[in-house]
Amino acid sequence: MSYFLQQIINGLSIGSVYALMAVGYSLVYSIMNFSNFAHGGVIMIGAYIGYFCLTMLKVPFFIAFIISALGAGLLAVSMEKIVYRPLRKRNAPFLYFIISAMGASIFLENIVIASPIGPTFRTYPPIFSTTPIMLGSVALGRIDLLMFIISAISLAALMYIIEKTKIGLSIRATSYSIKGSTLMGVNVDQVIFIIFIMGGILAGIAGMLFGMKYTVYPQIGNITTKSFIAAVFGGLGSLPGAVFGSILLGIIETMTSGYLSSQYRDLIAFALLIFVLVVKPTGLMGKSTEDKA
Amino acid sequence: MRGKVLSLISVLLIFTLMLSGCGGANSASNTSEDVIKIGWIGSLTGDQAVWGTCESNTIKMLIEEVNANGGILGKQVEGVYYDTKGDASEAVNAVKRLISQDKVVAILGPNASGQALAISAVLEQYKVPDIATVATNPKVTVNDDGTVKPYNFRVCFIDPYQGAVAAGYAYDKLEYKNAAILYDVASDYSQGFTEFFEKTFTEKGGTIVAKEGFKEGDVDFRPQLSKIKEANPDVILMPYYYKEVALSSNQARELGIKATLIGGDGWPSDQLMTMAKDAIEGSYIVNHLDFNDPEAKPLQDAYKAKYNLPLELNGYMANDAFLLLEAAIKDANSVDPVKITESLTKVSVKGVTGNIQISTDDHNPVGKEAAIVKIESGNYIFQEKYGVK
Repeated sequence: MSYFLQQIINGLSIGSVYALMAVGYSLVYSIMNFSNFAHGGVIMIGAYIGYFCLTMLKVPFFIAFIISALGAGLLAVSMEKIVYRPLRKRNAPFLYFIISAMGASIFLENIVIASPIGPTFRTYPPIFSTTPIMLGSVALGRIDLLMFIISAISLAALMYIIEKTKIGLSIRATSYSIKGSTLMGVNVDQVIFIIFIMGGILAGIAGMLFGMKYTVYPQIGNITTKSFIAAVFGGLGSLPGAVFGSILLGIIETMTSGYLSSQYRDLIAFALLIFVLVVKPTGLMGKSTEDKA
Repeated sequence: MRGKVLSLISVLLIFTLMLSGCGGANSASNTSEDVIKIGWIGSLTGDQAVWGTCESNTIKMLIEEVNANGGILGKQVEGVYYDTKGDASEAVNAVKRLISQDKVVAILGPNASGQALAISAVLEQYKVPDIATVATNPKVTVNDDGTVKPYNFRVCFIDPYQGAVAAGYAYDKLEYKNAAILYDVASDYSQGFTEFFEKTFTEKGGTIVAKEGFKEGDVDFRPQLSKIKEANPDVILMPYYYKEVALSSNQARELGIKATLIGGDGWPSDQLMTMAKDAIEGSYIVNHLDFNDPEAKPLQDAYKAKYNLPLELNGYMANDAFLLLEAAIKDANSVDPVKITESLTKVSVKGVTGNIQISTDDHNPVGKEAAIVKIESGNYIFQEKYGVK
């Protein structure tokens, strides 16, 4: 039984990493209808900002967290301005957006490798004790716990903004129809700016948490493949769907490793994914193409 | 109109081909007269960049030394370094470029078995020798049918040996009876190591209580480690590279696993110490040499003085590979790659990792013992030289 509980905790912990990253994908998709693959790059930069704040500037953990979130937000917004806005103004096909996003992601990875930061791995200084909290014989990592809490707070804040504020209303309106909301006086450029800054802030938070939990290296972005898949699994464009899909993917992966064989992990997880998409193409929680954010 | 454009393009193409053809011929004739070109391939980016950078740095340093002392056969030596990004197909491209474009006489590296395995066909096609540094998979120098690959050499011992030494030491010296294995299913290195550990350990009478896999790029090993914890082993074999070692050993300790950890030459790295100092305390490593060996000191000091970086294991191996090649070029008294290849099995050099004499049967160094190293409070403490039959 304790083995089962331990694997559930492992699964939740892996799932919550995916969840924080997956929400960023869903957010951009809900408005702009394309998958922003550069999100992984922003997460990676966020992880590095946090690392250098802690090791070189030696600022307190909380401050590093804010700098990293804002830095990543700024990066996401400037990428929107430089890369996506010109495409948007020309009404370019969505394929162009996806390709540019992939390009931006590879660019970010390589700029880190080529810079003095270099390709080596870096480890966050120990912020929390690594001795886990023992619940009987089940180990619960302190960083995992922190990750649950921070993910929950940021996701709740995001949901609040989208559901209850005026900005949220314009975001939801834009997600239904860009043209329609423009006619109603919604400033679409501003909505997209907000979407990217929110996605970027989440990416910074995710990057820093990832770095604390594991390590920092230029290829962090690769892990977002899994969270992108989780977002599709849950229903791309739906925020609760992204979270739910991520947690589910984490648990399925862990259970496959724990009870079958770790070699079947990806095989079974992705077979299930394909199955879900065949049966329900909008994903588990995607309602229809119209109803997104 | 279209026909005109096409013919114009083809004329231009022919022109450029002629020009580049002449250019190539010129540079080739220059190289064969004045300098000896030696190629190096390895990872300068990606997971194993720390090692590749150290290897290429070491070779750059050695070439400078050799050139300051008059070069080899009276000719200056020039190194050409290509990044394989840890990728086998990139390695093949790099070798092709080194041979056909840069006209190197021999190639040093790569450090990883996956890439070393991929390049044999190209080497055989162009008849240029390669000396791998830390590519420990048996198949790097030997074909599936047991015949030796004519142009592949190496200066390190092989995985079966490392796996067998780890198993023998764990069972006979440390008296562990139950072992668990966590390994990288996508890596030739990790698989070879695991296979021979399992074989030797069970032959001696031990039991493998759990065997779990992961894939390169994974960062979370807790599902597998939780399973290993249930099997309650005395010792866990971790035959992979330091980044995964750091993550998995930290996570093992977080889950409350107390078993001794044992690993191979993928471990030693200063980064491992910063990333997982406490988790790997008391672990054992099967390595190619003892880092505190006084004979390795001059090389360590020179490297430290030049780059202000610690010398990684790969630097020692690159040093020995270079010495072997230098001796072979002198012995062949020629820069013809085929003659150098013949001389590689004739010469014997005293390297920092021991005496290197390449066997003609399998192109492996003959009779190298492994060094067993224990990690104690952040230091590599040499235990003993240990070998198994």
